[in-house]
Amino acid sequence: MSDVNTTTASDSGSSATLTRLEQEGEIAADYLEGLLDIADLDGDIDMDVEGERASVSIIGDTSTRELTKLVGRDGEVLEALQELTRLAVHRETGERSRLMLDIAGFRARKRAELAQLGAEAAAEAKETGQPVKLDPMTPFERKVVHDAVAAAGLRSESEGEEPQRRVVVLPA
Amino acid sequence: MLEEALEHLVKGIVDNPDDVQVDMRTLRRGSVLEVRVHPDDLGKVIGRNGRTARALRTVVGALGGRGIRVDLVDVDQVR
Repeated sequence: MSDVNTTTASDSGSSATLTRLEQEGEIAADYLEGLLDIADLDGDIDMDVEGERASVSIIGDTSTRELTKLVGRDGEVLEALQELTRLAVHRETGERSRLMLDIAGFRARKRAELAQLGAEAAAEAKETGQPVKLDPMTPFERKVVHDAVAAAGLRSESEGEEPQRRVVVLPA
Repeated sequence: MLEEALEHLVKGIVDNPDDVQVDMRTLRRGSVLEVRVHPDDLGKVIGRNGRTARALRTVVGALGGRGIRVDLVDVDQVR
């Protein structure tokens, strides 16, 4: 009896999480859509749930160039908008959001570049038998690199303090 | 457009959206976007270490408001 209850509780727990993340995406989409309308920018909003996070992307139809001003240099504007969007979600749900925002494929491209960097660093560590230290990165960037190194069959760790924290790829 | 965009961004993150008012003022030394919020929401629009205020300024800058100041004003504040 108690076993059955536990199972039910955890099942409904995970679907409740999914519902909550979908709701986060919808609140975020409303907030961003409002901004696009006011600023007269064209863009479609795509919502998804990736792992434990809601993920929202603004995709340009034809004139992606217009949208890139919402990305900014090094994604500076994108980070600011993500921050504000998370706050808008928090206002509605009362819970802190870890929502990921992407605009015009900026993060997707960045992720591909970092994955390649991780694979190259892993190859170098294998070849030289020496640890390979990478440049300081944000938590998001390090996560992508760690995943790429793991996919190449090596281990990696992070060292140093933010914002100077960096990935070190360990030789096998 | 900038006033409207900033008003939308602020309204979405405060507890008292009806008390949000944004005005563009043109001063001798340039333009200022003045944001008025409920006193209880002032901390919210400033954020930890001014993080939220900085995010608002960054987005306004990207929308064409580069060089325009964004001031946060408590509604109780007498000018």
